[in-house]
Amino acid sequence: MREINKILTIAKFTFKEIIKSNILVNIFFLGLGLLLVTYVAYSFTYGEPARIALDFGLGTLSLSSVGIAIFIGSGILAKEIDSRTVYMIISRPVPRYCFILGKVMGLILVLIVNVLLLSTLTLSAYFFIGGEFAPILMWSILFILFEAIIALLVVSLLSLISSQTIAVILSMIVYVLGHAIDGVKLTSMIAKNKVLESIIDVYHFFLPGYYKLNLKEHVIYKQNIELDYLVNNTFYVLFYSLFLITLCVLTFNKKNLD
Amino acid sequence: MIDFCNVSKVFNTDLLKKDFHALKSVTFNIPEGKTIGFLGANGAGKTTSLKIAMDFIRPTSGEIKYNESLGKNKLEAFKNIGYLPERPFFYPHLTGLEFCHYMGALTDLSKAEIESQVNVWALKFKIDFALNRHIKNYSKGMLQRIGFLATLLHNPKLIILDEPLAGLDPIGRKELKDIIVQLRDEGKTVFFSSHIISDVEEICDSVIFLKDGEVVFNGSVDQIMKDNIKPETRISYFDGDSLLTEVIPNNKKEEYLSKLLKDGKEIVSLQAEKPTLEEIFYNVKKN
Repeated sequence: MREINKILTIAKFTFKEIIKSNILVNIFFLGLGLLLVTYVAYSFTYGEPARIALDFGLGTLSLSSVGIAIFIGSGILAKEIDSRTVYMIISRPVPRYCFILGKVMGLILVLIVNVLLLSTLTLSAYFFIGGEFAPILMWSILFILFEAIIALLVVSLLSLISSQTIAVILSMIVYVLGHAIDGVKLTSMIAKNKVLESIIDVYHFFLPGYYKLNLKEHVIYKQNIELDYLVNNTFYVLFYSLFLITLCVLTFNKKNLD
Repeated sequence: MIDFCNVSKVFNTDLLKKDFHALKSVTFNIPEGKTIGFLGANGAGKTTSLKIAMDFIRPTSGEIKYNESLGKNKLEAFKNIGYLPERPFFYPHLTGLEFCHYMGALTDLSKAEIESQVNVWALKFKIDFALNRHIKNYSKGMLQRIGFLATLLHNPKLIILDEPLAGLDPIGRKELKDIIVQLRDEGKTVFFSSHIISDVEEICDSVIFLKDGEVVFNGSVDQIMKDNIKPETRISYFDGDSLLTEVIPNNKKEEYLSKLLKDGKEIVSLQAEKPTLEEIFYNVKKN
């Protein structure tokens, strides 16, 4: 029970510290940019302006959430060591796993705020232009949040085993690969080459399949999607997140904080 | 309260470079109720030792033992330890008060307990006026004060401070030294690293000298002063209107004094010639 309180305390103050920094201002300007882009897209589009507005909106929401996740997640430890705050926390009766779980939870709360604010703007613009509500819209926004959470956990893990810069670069590479890998597997070059196919299978086993969380096409083209697909991918996110958090905790427990 | 048993630490920062032996079989203990100065030049291994004591980094060999008076295990022991790192820079967007609440909550203090402790210590540290300011607006001295305050919130038995007086102005140093003395008088154990020897001489019961990762002296301040006392006497006297001082070997002291009295000089003082701790430290050689 005490451990849970400590995790929640660390999460609360991590959230507070980030929200009180300039991140809300950044999100605000991002939101303004989003509205501007939506307006421009709407003005120059014939036929389906709402669809284009939604396409831009969801794209911006996804990229900004992953961007914020990568940049705040990469500093999960580096910043704490630089400012020596990690020493103040770990020197108290706080197990190391509480520190990591609290930090991650605080950062996830920041991502939730970002997704809530930007998705509200996106949907407002979409409905204003004449778009219609569909449940898949909500799933799509939820999956964008999932995508950002996985990106956050990936960059957090990488920042525990490498420098902040390398963690950011690798996370971006993993993000691009994670979206492209499914399409790549379908190419004839891979289908003909057993070695490359095995490499992709290994990738599927260990690295995040971001493509599973991309519902944009389904939303924009109003394609039918099975509930099973959504539920299965939700479980995938849950288990993959647990896997990454476990790795973060194990790595941090062994890490020399110097 | 904490025993260092043959602790060694080797860093290997670069494959092409030789290993760096930061600590070489360091053995000492921190006795209860004392104020101990942990001395050494920059790079002597003080901060590395403290990081090992606090389990931030693991020793290459040897072990750290926490006495039962601190707790049965590491986490329990940490409830009774207050640690202040060197040159801290805390969360810039939190206020000083929020930071204290954060640190207090992590040591299982209730809100009311935190507030009462903050009220007491903020006045002593003269930081009460800035508790509601964002930490990013704090000066170096204020950061040190809020850090020290947060270190004492949970009323720890053992207080470990890494260079707590570094970078402070003379008034700030005096104020923090006074608080360390007060803590000592309350029976707390204070272990602090410093490379400013005069500070240690002023407030510590004993000192541990670290040189190139090895303990070269571990004992009381009085003992080291006594051991290094020179067989010389400093004699001050008036010659007319001028105050003169001579340092005379002890075996010639009486003869010299007789001569001065015979010449009608007014003797002002006679003092055994003792070096400062600083002089001793710079002359300490490995045995």
